[in-house]
Amino acid sequence: MSIIDPSTIHADVSTRTAGARLPGRSLLRIGPVSLQVRRRAVLVAVALTVLLLLAVVLSLSLGTPYVAPADVLRALSGAGTPYDLVVFDLRLPRIVLAAVAGAAFGVAGTLIQSVARNPLASPDVIGITQGAGLAATVALTTGMGAVLVAPTALVGGLLAAVLLFALGARHGLAAQRFVLAGVAVAFAFRALTEVVMLSADPIDGLRAQIWLIGTLAGKGWTEAAWIAGTLLVLLPVLAWAGWALNSTAVDDDTARGVGLRPVARRIGLAGTGVLVAAMVTAQVGAVDFVALVAPQVARRLVRAERPPLVCAALLGALLLVLADLAGRRLIAPTQLPAGVLTAAIGGPYLIFLLLRGRRRSS
Amino acid sequence: MLSTRDLVAGYDERTVLDGLDLDLPADAFTVIVGPNACGKSTLLRTMARLLTPRRGTVLLDGSAIRDLPTREVARRLGVLPQSPLVPEGVTVADLVGRGRQPYQRWWRQWSAEDGAAVDQAMALADVAGLADRPVDSLSGGQRQRVWIAMTLAQDTEALLLDEPTTFLDLAHQVEVLDLLHRLRVERGRTVVAVLHDLNQAARYADHLVAMRDGAVVAAGPPREILTADLVRDVFGLACVVVPCPVTGAPLVVPAHTGGTALRGSATPSAAADDSDPSGASVPDARPASGDAATPLAGSYPSKGL
Repeated sequence: MSIIDPSTIHADVSTRTAGARLPGRSLLRIGPVSLQVRRRAVLVAVALTVLLLLAVVLSLSLGTPYVAPADVLRALSGAGTPYDLVVFDLRLPRIVLAAVAGAAFGVAGTLIQSVARNPLASPDVIGITQGAGLAATVALTTGMGAVLVAPTALVGGLLAAVLLFALGARHGLAAQRFVLAGVAVAFAFRALTEVVMLSADPIDGLRAQIWLIGTLAGKGWTEAAWIAGTLLVLLPVLAWAGWALNSTAVDDDTARGVGLRPVARRIGLAGTGVLVAAMVTAQVGAVDFVALVAPQVARRLVRAERPPLVCAALLGALLLVLADLAGRRLIAPTQLPAGVLTAAIGGPYLIFLLLRGRRRSS
Repeated sequence: MLSTRDLVAGYDERTVLDGLDLDLPADAFTVIVGPNACGKSTLLRTMARLLTPRRGTVLLDGSAIRDLPTREVARRLGVLPQSPLVPEGVTVADLVGRGRQPYQRWWRQWSAEDGAAVDQAMALADVAGLADRPVDSLSGGQRQRVWIAMTLAQDTEALLLDEPTTFLDLAHQVEVLDLLHRLRVERGRTVVAVLHDLNQAARYADHLVAMRDGAVVAAGPPREILTADLVRDVFGLACVVVPCPVTGAPLVVPAHTGGTALRGSATPSAAADDSDPSGASVPDARPASGDAATPLAGSYPSKGL
């Protein structure tokens, strides 16, 4: 038992009052704004940005024809080179789409996993992907026209989100309830998708199958603009989310005790997450292993207790750019859909997580 | 400071509190006692607005707590729930820092006052040396002090604690209660705690509230209200109440040890619904009050508060 002499308390306070900080955090002041920033997160974010830029240049350079990185940089600087067509018109749109979609998956995964308090939760576990998939399958097999596939898929994803919230809301969107409701929604939509696919023309069914796997081939600025636009519009919400995510790890009583409204917070965070997930899935299909992997790897890199939003977005971008590059080049000229590659990376990662979990618990 | 008017609260179909009127004194250490499932935790949770009452009002300094913004309530009223979930990998300073959330916004995440309050809270709860350790790596006693530090960082006039000594060994129980006592005496805080141990309640409380079946049976200073009759009424336990050799506070000693015949004849009805506590606690009761209390005698302030 220790009795604290009041005089030592005051001495301790006076020596540290001026600059008290939380361990591992720095304070970022911009006018009236003060943000707590993890120092390690800043380092990781800088490193990921550098790697992302390198990956983009590499991806612009590899392929047929091969463009030397120096020429890529010259073309990007607007100097006017013979490679402008290849770099700007053929490769850049798809690579930018990969980066933007990857970032969006990273953001969506972070928000969904934090609310679900579950590292395995991702848009395809809680049914958003299946909702978008069902709608896209319907659009592709009824000949609605290619332009309408993405908007229809978006509606499908949002429909799944509405169902998810309706099922999860009764218990204040509590973690377990949220995941269970999502799994139910996912199964229902997947079953309906199978029905639609089986009753459709086999060629249309195959097209739907490819859409479901998720691919960036033949896509570019339009899709990237929709995703980036969504993220930009949501930027103020995301800025709030980066802070609000801190409280998702404590229980509701503790959160209420410090004046938070945990249910409102969860609805806001999960709502933002599914909105981003529905939009990005509608544009590029089910490349969602990125949403599963990026937040958890980013969390381990930053050594934080929950996935860091910005680092997860950067890592998601990096992963999808690399997956798309690998898909283009591995067995060229045949292209593998990015979804296959991200699943190929995600599978082993899942095994790694399981093994790690077992070692820790034993 | 805290009052309830015609309070009706419960869970799902079960009504636990049915029309409770209670006034808790300011600047006092109030302890709520009662048998399991008597509604003491429900009362605390409702007063801390963790549980929404079905009817009636909780008043904080005269104004209805449900009409106050929850953030403002959190600057006036701190609460430590029963066995809160420890977030994985969060450091002590980080968790204590979360007590500052009522003062923060996403665009104003940290201020000099936040730093000072966190340092002071960690020093008061004696966890400053653990600042960089993950909370989930600490012992139960250390964890509990960290949680208390978190609520202290909230810098509130009043503090509500739901069984803050559960799962702690006796020395750590005394340590936590001493800390609460100091908060009340040195810092003038209003402290309200739910406790299981009657003797600890009698020793530390300025104001004792005894509950049974969702109603208050008696309330007042322990020396005035804690009698053998009250213990029989509230817990259905036959006992002898003697002055504590250290503090002079009432000391409840169960009237028999382990025997069933005596117990059955003394409290036939209550023995049936509350079978285990007295039998288990009796062997501990005497050595506990002797061993643990003696080292306290010097440091523990007089109980003539």
